[in-house]
Amino acid sequence: MSATDRDHRATGRSTDQATRWAVLSPPTLFLLAFFLAPALIMVLASFQYPGEFGGLAPLTDQGDGKEYGLTLENLAFFFSDWLFAEIFARSFSVAAASTLICLILAYPVAWLIAQSPKRHRDLLVLLVILPFASNFLIRVYAWMIILGPQAALARTINGLLATLGLEPVSLLFSPIAVLVGMVYVHLPFMILPLYTNLEKHDPVLLDAAQDLGANAWQRFWRVTWPLSLPGVFSGAALVFIPVLGMFAIPDLLGGTRDMLIGNLIKDQFLGVRDWPFGAALSIMLTLAVLSLAGLAAWLSKPRRRAT
Amino acid sequence: MNGKWLWPWLCALLSGPLWAAETLYLYNWNNYISDATIARFEAQCACRVVQDYYSDNEEMLAKIAAGASGYDLIVPTGNAVESLIRSQQLRPIDKARLPNLKHIKPAFLDTPFDPGNRYSVPYAYTLTLIGYNTAKVRELDLPTDTWALIFEPRFLKRIKGRVTVLDSQRELMAAAMKYLGHSINDTDEAKWKQARDLILRAKPFWAAFNASSYIKELTVGNIWVAHGYSNDMFQANQDAQRAGRPFGIGYGIPKEGAVLALDSMVLHKTGRHPDLAHRFMDFMLEGVNSAELTNLIGSGNPNQAAIAHIHPEIADNRAVFPDAVTLKRLEMMRDLDRKSRRVLNRIWTEIKLR
Repeated sequence: MSATDRDHRATGRSTDQATRWAVLSPPTLFLLAFFLAPALIMVLASFQYPGEFGGLAPLTDQGDGKEYGLTLENLAFFFSDWLFAEIFARSFSVAAASTLICLILAYPVAWLIAQSPKRHRDLLVLLVILPFASNFLIRVYAWMIILGPQAALARTINGLLATLGLEPVSLLFSPIAVLVGMVYVHLPFMILPLYTNLEKHDPVLLDAAQDLGANAWQRFWRVTWPLSLPGVFSGAALVFIPVLGMFAIPDLLGGTRDMLIGNLIKDQFLGVRDWPFGAALSIMLTLAVLSLAGLAAWLSKPRRRAT
Repeated sequence: MNGKWLWPWLCALLSGPLWAAETLYLYNWNNYISDATIARFEAQCACRVVQDYYSDNEEMLAKIAAGASGYDLIVPTGNAVESLIRSQQLRPIDKARLPNLKHIKPAFLDTPFDPGNRYSVPYAYTLTLIGYNTAKVRELDLPTDTWALIFEPRFLKRIKGRVTVLDSQRELMAAAMKYLGHSINDTDEAKWKQARDLILRAKPFWAAFNASSYIKELTVGNIWVAHGYSNDMFQANQDAQRAGRPFGIGYGIPKEGAVLALDSMVLHKTGRHPDLAHRFMDFMLEGVNSAELTNLIGSGNPNQAAIAHIHPEIADNRAVFPDAVTLKRLEMMRDLDRKSRRVLNRIWTEIKLR
């Protein structure tokens, strides 16, 4: 968006126009074809009847006496029961917790990388993104081994609990395991935007704050933190939204109560062949995320003006 | 949807000159035919077999519904055969060209999905049953011939957190319905709610709903009792033996009955080689070739002529080849209509959430 804003200010010479179109049209077409169009199909699907054997019922009468056309049935089904809202609430709290933990873990790491000598930074960033070199499912499987009841971790914890006379706990197949998996997989997405933000901070500002008598905490809270907020927000978005839709991690690491919205949606398409309800759930999820993003934007604006 | 229909063509282009020979496009489950069998068929027919795989009937149906074409043969499970027949995706088979069809046991012919076998030829079957760690079950003195093992708290409390059940609405409900003495295809909501209550009472003792990793968890000894498929239990037992574990993985059909999933060969209407496909079907109906699959993955075999070629430890396993009494208690799953699917869906979501 900011790129187009800048372009608006550019002089309107025809070569500029041509270049602009040449540069902008591929991504625009891409977004239209692969983002907007599927999203509209999804909206349409959420108002259709499910097909007899899965898929969607036709929009027009096929003359076979079967259902066709549009319906509000899918949305009605969603609102007919608190159950689905409850899954939404649970998913949002898992996403919020994952985001918060990622932020707490990532901030010091990003700060240390930003503070380290320039020649080391590339290497450190490389180390952060190194896990991407292997497939994410394989890394989740690795966690299944680490958290398994026969691994050293579970044995140590359960040994400690036993000496305290407490029941052993299961690490794998638990909400904790889901949270660990979510944080582990999404941590780099928090570190990188934070680092790119913190790296640009001018150290002179901190010197000035110190000269004015600010202690270490005040220097962080009054200077570094407010300046890093854009990084925090983009990192939070990069973690929060994917966590909301994630179904593989609860499937693999979760126990018997860890169904999240992603699993529910996946079930509709792959398990019960109820595409319209799956589409309706996806639309509700998108709306929920958008309204949350809107709320966050609205909340963050006046505060920035005040400071 | 993701352009996978291109694969047969790409494979053909990459793996040999186009003029070489006729090619059979087989859309099959993962690891559901032995390489040796394929090689033998290729030699016999002077043709080539190109396989494309799915790991789920739903996945296959979704791809066919999205317009995938060019497959000569597909190997779906019964209820998926029914879906394909009713959505007019299949080509009738010509039984005159399948002399070996006589080897199939009558119990596996004329199924409710395809009365008279107009479209389908039985290939292999799987049972949904209970697999268990032989050492632990003996040590804890647990019964292995009843669904009570995964539903009754009096047994479950001895194996708390060491049990997984399939992450499948239909399969888990089927087990509960069987335990309650109902048919797995009963769609009475009151009975489903009874099953739900049974499941919710047992759920606190289960470790997870698991359809993907229970083989491994059984093999390493993290899980002692698992609700799962007979082929998977066969593999888990083999893995445990190969790894030299001090226990084996046993499996048995609960006396209340269980789900039998019969996979059949069908001809997709877009296939370009119905001739070759018939030859392949008849080839797979030969005892030797059919037995090869059972020896590889421990699948059930509906072919009478195959029994002589199956390793005795599989052929004698009553959980793979049940006796006549048990066979009568097995049921094949029918597809639900969309209204029932939604009722079950809500019940399942409740099960998952509570």
